[in-house]
Amino acid sequence: MALLDYIKNQSIDTAAASSVITLAEGGTAELYLNPNDMSVEVSEQQSRSLIILHQTDDAVSLSVDVAPFANIRIVEVLLGKGCVDCMVRQQAGSRCEIYTILLGDAMADYTIDLNGKEASNMLRGAFVAGGDERQRMGVRVNHFSSDCQSDSLIKGVAGGKALGEFNGMVYVAQDAQRTDARQTSRNIEIGREAHIVTKPQLEIYADDVKCSHGATVGQLDSEAVLYMRQRGLSEAQAKRLQIEGFLKDVVMSLGELGEVLAEELTAKLETL
Amino acid sequence: MLTVKNLHATVGDKEILKGINLEVKAGEVHAIMGPNGSGKSTFASVLAGNEKFTVTEGSVEFMGEDLLEKSIEDRARMGLFLGFQYPVEIPGVTMANFMKMAVNEQRKFRGEEPLSAGEFLRMMREKSKVVELDSKLTSRSVNEGFSGGEKKKNEIFQMAMLDPKLAVLDETDSGLDIDALRIVATGVTKLHTEDNATIVITHYQRLLDYIVPDYVHVLYNGRIIYSGDKTLALKLEKEGYDWLINDYKE
Repeated sequence: MALLDYIKNQSIDTAAASSVITLAEGGTAELYLNPNDMSVEVSEQQSRSLIILHQTDDAVSLSVDVAPFANIRIVEVLLGKGCVDCMVRQQAGSRCEIYTILLGDAMADYTIDLNGKEASNMLRGAFVAGGDERQRMGVRVNHFSSDCQSDSLIKGVAGGKALGEFNGMVYVAQDAQRTDARQTSRNIEIGREAHIVTKPQLEIYADDVKCSHGATVGQLDSEAVLYMRQRGLSEAQAKRLQIEGFLKDVVMSLGELGEVLAEELTAKLETL
Repeated sequence: MLTVKNLHATVGDKEILKGINLEVKAGEVHAIMGPNGSGKSTFASVLAGNEKFTVTEGSVEFMGEDLLEKSIEDRARMGLFLGFQYPVEIPGVTMANFMKMAVNEQRKFRGEEPLSAGEFLRMMREKSKVVELDSKLTSRSVNEGFSGGEKKKNEIFQMAMLDPKLAVLDETDSGLDIDALRIVATGVTKLHTEDNATIVITHYQRLLDYIVPDYVHVLYNGRIIYSGDKTLALKLEKEGYDWLINDYKE
């Protein structure tokens, strides 16, 4: 089921700014379709779950404030040529999870400020670019306070003549001792004319920190394709299955919605 | 079932197979032995259709058709199975999903309807017993994090799922402890019928204690230089290859 069908099945009012939908795995989420600039607050010890879908070509900015010990989960999907600039400010002990997927000729930038002690942020991103699309994802995590955690994993696939770009930065301020930060960028280029540019960076001013970053750009594993073909899968099936497998851990923890997103990714892969 | 005539194959400029002749009939088990570098794995890869190798001369007929003009996947769908010496890990692709596609592609090729989810699960459960494969493994990614023994059991599990006409097992015994060897070899024996055939490539006679071959061939320098019955494997185990290959050294 494609994402739009999934949303239609939730019998929501598409004219309203937002609607509440019930998630299969329990709980609810606020759904925003093609929002304008918006600002979101989560008050102390509260939880919010947002699904934001962009189909338009607009530039949208999103501001998120997470109060102490509050939780937020944001799932953001860009289907069109949109451009999103998302700014997240997290207070002490707050948790934020972001899942972001670029499927169109889109750009998305996330800036995450960890302003209070023991805040934690997890970001999972995927972009799939085909044709002559140009996609860019940026993730900047600022550790301004001590004992915070951040973990970003961004996976990119480019086919055709597409260009995919990842720009990463983990900044650790002098006072942000005992920071635990991880940023990983993994990419696959399909064919000779597709390009991925990845730039993960670290800037560390504290001395007691655990930080790691890594980036890879590779091709499909031809041994795996051979293996799958020997079991009777066509070359196209084998390649697609491998890329699906590669992207899967970005959305895996999202339950039914994750499955829908995985199908959306697969549908895009079929066009490469 | 399989007729190989004067098969020559190269990788790059290097000729590896230099005229292999082999006839395999339904119900037979053939063992191919030989020193390292003699071309055993290449022979298996060429039968499977690995595009890294170029066939320069000769012919291979399988189930009455010209095998060499078929793609890798069509060879598989026709019932040719290669047990890999080094099974490949495929992160994020579950065994169940992979096997479901493989089984249904084969069924489509034969003009059969795809299996329902229930039928497929039942088949998985039943076939995993052949090699005592922990059924939890089927929900994990293909070969990822599997031990050496599990990987080889998994090869035979896939063989059981696909029920090939001809299985070519490339050093399926390598890297196995005694128990895993017994399980894997017994699994292969269970799958053997009068209608299918097996070619086992091995260095060690011990595998052939379980999978008793009708013929043992010695491959050396790209050719089968000697063939015999199962007693040949015992003789090779005792005396090595020197007495055979001296005449063929370059």
